[in-house]
Amino acid sequence: MSQNDLVYQKKNLPDSLKRLGYLLLVIGLALGVAGFLFDAQRALFNYLLAFIFIMSIAVGSLFLVALEYIAGAEWSTPIRRVPEFLASFSPILIILVIPLLLNVHSIFEWSHKDIVAGDKILTGKSPYLNTTFFIGRTLFSIGVWSLFYFLFVRNSRKQDVTKDQLLTKKNIKLSAIFIPLFAITITISAIDWMMSLEPHWFSTIFGVYFFAGSVVAALAAVTLATVLLKEKGFLHPKMNNEHLFSLGALQFTFINFWAYIAFSQFMLIWYANLPEETYWFIGRWGGIWSYVSIGLIFVHFIVPYAVLLSQPAKMDQKKLKFISIWILCARVIDLYWLIMPQVHSAKAGVLTIFFEFGFLIAAVGGFLLVFYFNAKKHNLVPVGDPKLEKGLNFRL
Amino acid sequence: MSERKLFGITVLFHTPDEIIHAASKVREAGYKNYDVHTPYPLHGMDAAMNLKPSKLGYITLAFGLFGAAFALLFMYWAMSIDYPMIIGGKPFFALPAFIPITFEVTVLLATLATVISMLAFFFKFPFNSHPLHDTPYMKAVSSDKYGICIEADDVLFDLEKVKALYKELNGQNITEIYSSVVEPFKIFEPKFLTLLTLVALLTSGATYITLNKLLYITPFDWLMNQSRVNVQSKSTFYADGFGMRKPVEGSVARNFIPYEYMGLIAPVVPLSNTLIPSNDILSLGKKRFLTFCSPCHGNYGDGDSRLNNQFPNPPSLHSEKVRGWQDGNIYHVIVNGQNVMPSYASQLSRDERWAVIHYIRVLQKAKNASPSEIIEAKKEILSNVAK
Amino acid sequence: MNIDYSQELPVIERRISLAEIDRLISKPLDEKPDKKFFIALSITGTLLLIGVISISYLFLYGTGVWGLNQPVGWAFDITNFVFWVGIGHAGTLISAILYLLRQKWRTGIARFAEAMTIFAVMCAGIFPIIHMGRPWLAGYLMPYPNQHGLWVNFTSPLVWDVFAVSTYFTVSLVFWYVGLIPDFGLLRDRTASTLKKSIYSIFSLGWRNSHRNWQHYEKAYMLLAGFATPLVLSVHTIVSFDFAVSIIPGWHTTIFPPYFVAGAIFSGFAMVVTVLIFVRKVFDLQHIITLNHLDKMNKIILATSMMVGYAYGMEFFIAWYSGNPSEQFVFINRAFGPYAWAYWIMVTCNVLIPQLFWFKKIRTTIPIMLVIVIFVNVGMWFERFVITVTSLHRDFLPSSWGYFVPSIFDLGTLIGSFGLFFTLVLLFTKTLPVVAMSELKAVAEGAQPSHNGGKH
Repeated sequence: MSQNDLVYQKKNLPDSLKRLGYLLLVIGLALGVAGFLFDAQRALFNYLLAFIFIMSIAVGSLFLVALEYIAGAEWSTPIRRVPEFLASFSPILIILVIPLLLNVHSIFEWSHKDIVAGDKILTGKSPYLNTTFFIGRTLFSIGVWSLFYFLFVRNSRKQDVTKDQLLTKKNIKLSAIFIPLFAITITISAIDWMMSLEPHWFSTIFGVYFFAGSVVAALAAVTLATVLLKEKGFLHPKMNNEHLFSLGALQFTFINFWAYIAFSQFMLIWYANLPEETYWFIGRWGGIWSYVSIGLIFVHFIVPYAVLLSQPAKMDQKKLKFISIWILCARVIDLYWLIMPQVHSAKAGVLTIFFEFGFLIAAVGGFLLVFYFNAKKHNLVPVGDPKLEKGLNFRL
Repeated sequence: MSERKLFGITVLFHTPDEIIHAASKVREAGYKNYDVHTPYPLHGMDAAMNLKPSKLGYITLAFGLFGAAFALLFMYWAMSIDYPMIIGGKPFFALPAFIPITFEVTVLLATLATVISMLAFFFKFPFNSHPLHDTPYMKAVSSDKYGICIEADDVLFDLEKVKALYKELNGQNITEIYSSVVEPFKIFEPKFLTLLTLVALLTSGATYITLNKLLYITPFDWLMNQSRVNVQSKSTFYADGFGMRKPVEGSVARNFIPYEYMGLIAPVVPLSNTLIPSNDILSLGKKRFLTFCSPCHGNYGDGDSRLNNQFPNPPSLHSEKVRGWQDGNIYHVIVNGQNVMPSYASQLSRDERWAVIHYIRVLQKAKNASPSEIIEAKKEILSNVAK
Repeated sequence: MNIDYSQELPVIERRISLAEIDRLISKPLDEKPDKKFFIALSITGTLLLIGVISISYLFLYGTGVWGLNQPVGWAFDITNFVFWVGIGHAGTLISAILYLLRQKWRTGIARFAEAMTIFAVMCAGIFPIIHMGRPWLAGYLMPYPNQHGLWVNFTSPLVWDVFAVSTYFTVSLVFWYVGLIPDFGLLRDRTASTLKKSIYSIFSLGWRNSHRNWQHYEKAYMLLAGFATPLVLSVHTIVSFDFAVSIIPGWHTTIFPPYFVAGAIFSGFAMVVTVLIFVRKVFDLQHIITLNHLDKMNKIILATSMMVGYAYGMEFFIAWYSGNPSEQFVFINRAFGPYAWAYWIMVTCNVLIPQLFWFKKIRTTIPIMLVIVIFVNVGMWFERFVITVTSLHRDFLPSSWGYFVPSIFDLGTLIGSFGLFFTLVLLFTKTLPVVAMSELKAVAEGAQPSHNGGKH
């Protein structure tokens, strides 16, 4: 069926990408580590932020892969390798998490035995919020992600060679098992790494909020990579605008979903006005933080919404590139808003420290490298997938 | 029959591929007033007919934005300006709480505007008298055939050429469609008049029954029949048959504490003023004085009545006697009246009487101050200004 | 059984000509209803009558005829309201969200699901009105310039409900009607009876199948779907706000909005499957509403069941985690208090039983499926009951604790709402095409040009 002139040919990504990746990684790490000399506490939180940023993209991408299998989606098959490559950060998380696990005491208030002993509520929570169990949960979550990453990717890569349809079936089954586990692990991560920074505060929707943000970020990363690769001709030549449209539409949907969840959380706490809940938002309202809080609505919702609203915009490569980068920045601001008030609530103001984004720069470099090395070893298009033909012929 | 006008020529095709091909050929031949009829939307027909993308989205957007703005501004006006009320400790302009309704109104207006403008302006519906209706052609294209109709008012229209084009495209059932003669609608047709009369009767009857009968049956009669004794009505409960009861001996109505020296020439022990003079009290006193006292006593209490001798002028309030009175004495005169002056008890409440007395004292002071007192007062004003 | 993933499953089983689609789907409209139909109608009519009697009695004597008491001032009325609104959500989900997702299998079931949405919202709309002391003053809920100079309280979730439900009803109705216009046109051209023809003509508005119209029509349909999707979320979100903006433990929790939406889709799909199982059998539509469709719907039921289960777990966990004693008490009381029976019915029906849908065999076996979806319907009714009643019956003040027992009028109204729903469904099957014919034709095999007509 497929015409010969339109067959995918594997190409290596340019070496400049590798060089750029190493450069960003080195500069970022240097800046980040230098931050420790000035304000170790703050630098640690910056590292935490970068870690969660990587985690949300990696795990979000893994979820997108599983979603494609379970929903039987065809349009996304030609670009499935992109989220697979991004998800390859999942096993690396186990190394990245070590500095944080060593510093649990400096990050979490609940790890201080004396404070917990003097606080009735924290004592009540200590069966859940204690260092041993915390480390156990973290390792469990990363273990689950890594395991499923290996399984998905192994089957997917094997299929490039064998073209065995059974592998698709296997991955569908794996996805069905993975998605409930994913829901649990991502909720645990959200509660552990972000909600418990303020150990008295609680919100049942928090896991969903983190999930929404992660998927938005993962989609933005996938879209950005897809558009760039397509421009440079690394993807299948039969890829068309309608694939991009679907990505844009999905991004649009999840932007709305994020806003919906964020609004629900804020609205219910604001309306009921219970002091044990509102103080979390009040803490994000003092000083300059009110601008961050209000700005988040515009940056994370209104601007992407307005840009992606029209139908042609969802296929426009330039707009998609712009908005994907924008959304990734918005994700950083969202995480900053979630995490950072813990460090400066006392100072009540965002200090723009030069070193603040060091680890994030390193994270970007890391993603480039991961992409480069993955693309070197593996096809950028799942050539053996039985859905590929249909996916390429996808029309709205 | 001669009045029947040619509307257009139709042709049928059996497969989607044929119709797409035919439509693009018809377009290429330069026809403008033609239409393709298919039982369902065909992919690729927009391109074959070279149609511009639908502009419907702009209407949706405009009405959506209008709905959002309208709902938000309206709630702002109603809750913050027209009738501000504190509810649940929220601000008057409680933006998060306005979001749900703003959203709903946006969606409602946008969808209704989209559908109504599509049907009324884009399609010009309802249009049941179109010449294509009730033709075998329409029956075929609404079921499983695909048809083209080139209309007679196209500039390029030529009966033979069109037929030739159709034949060339291998079309079936080439038919000429004539528009039927439209009879002008007659208002005075008996059938129509009967219908109008019936509708009028039905509407007025229903209105009458609703407003005069339906709303008076249980349970809608809740305003008329309430299980309580109405004022001034009989009651079988009490032996004397009266519905209303006399208050207990010695009951005093709220704010109507009786004045104990009523009817006496002077109070035995004059009451003392219950109010402390302040700006509010003095301006109240001034207002009441100017309303009730000044017609006879004059604006400054000089006894220069505005009534032009229709009524005997009262003495001045600046006399030694009045200035020497205690507040209670003036109060007594207000409540009780004096000589020709009637009681003002019903015009002025207790507090207002005392406020008026304060104001009279101010007038008295102003009219009768000694030069040294005036100098003192001026100094005080200057020092206040300096501050 | 191995599926070939490179091939698409046909939306309609076996090849069927377009004219055959017309004939098959408009068959119930052309024939006189048979005996079975009247038997079914008399049963649902009886149920409806019970509801009418219960409500008339309520209007005469007031809400005292219900089993409400001091702590439980809100029980069956709100439970039924949320239940029916939830049922309604599946219709919009199928017609709008699956449309946007380009899921072609929705065509077979969309019309029916949309109709069920409208009927369910009608059932739901009854309850907020009758639970008012003087239901004939329901008009006061609308903001209109009145002699009191007052406006409704726009910050009240109950007023949001009025806006949400009426908007939802209107938009669903418009969406449904827009979908029906081409079918009315077809019916008008098919029928031989003059009376039917004039009725269909009026409703078809003079539809001519013109492609110049189809073009705008498709655009409008997409815009409507785009609006209906957030709308459907907003409606159940606002319903959840009724509870969650309060400070009652068990009501005030931030996960309520997405949890209610997931629950609504869950119950709605269960109801759609329940009804479709009968419809496809009775009207001989097995190859249009295929087992594959039911299988997919059961998968969605399974997914939403797990979402609901996630919310149950999350609520429980955070109640413990919050360290708030009132919050903790409410959840212990739910599971082990006087209403434990209701709670465990809910958990069993909503979380445990649907797990059977993990097996493909069960997903595609009609009798088992029917039993499971009925359990889901029951479970979802109990979910709303548990949320409302168990949170209210033991609140902050132990001296005013109580227990709610429904009266026969409570039950009568509930039965009546089912009567109304199924009566309308029955009448619908005989008056309008239960499958969107023009949409179905568009996805039939060979219905679209083979080379894509030079598009792009």
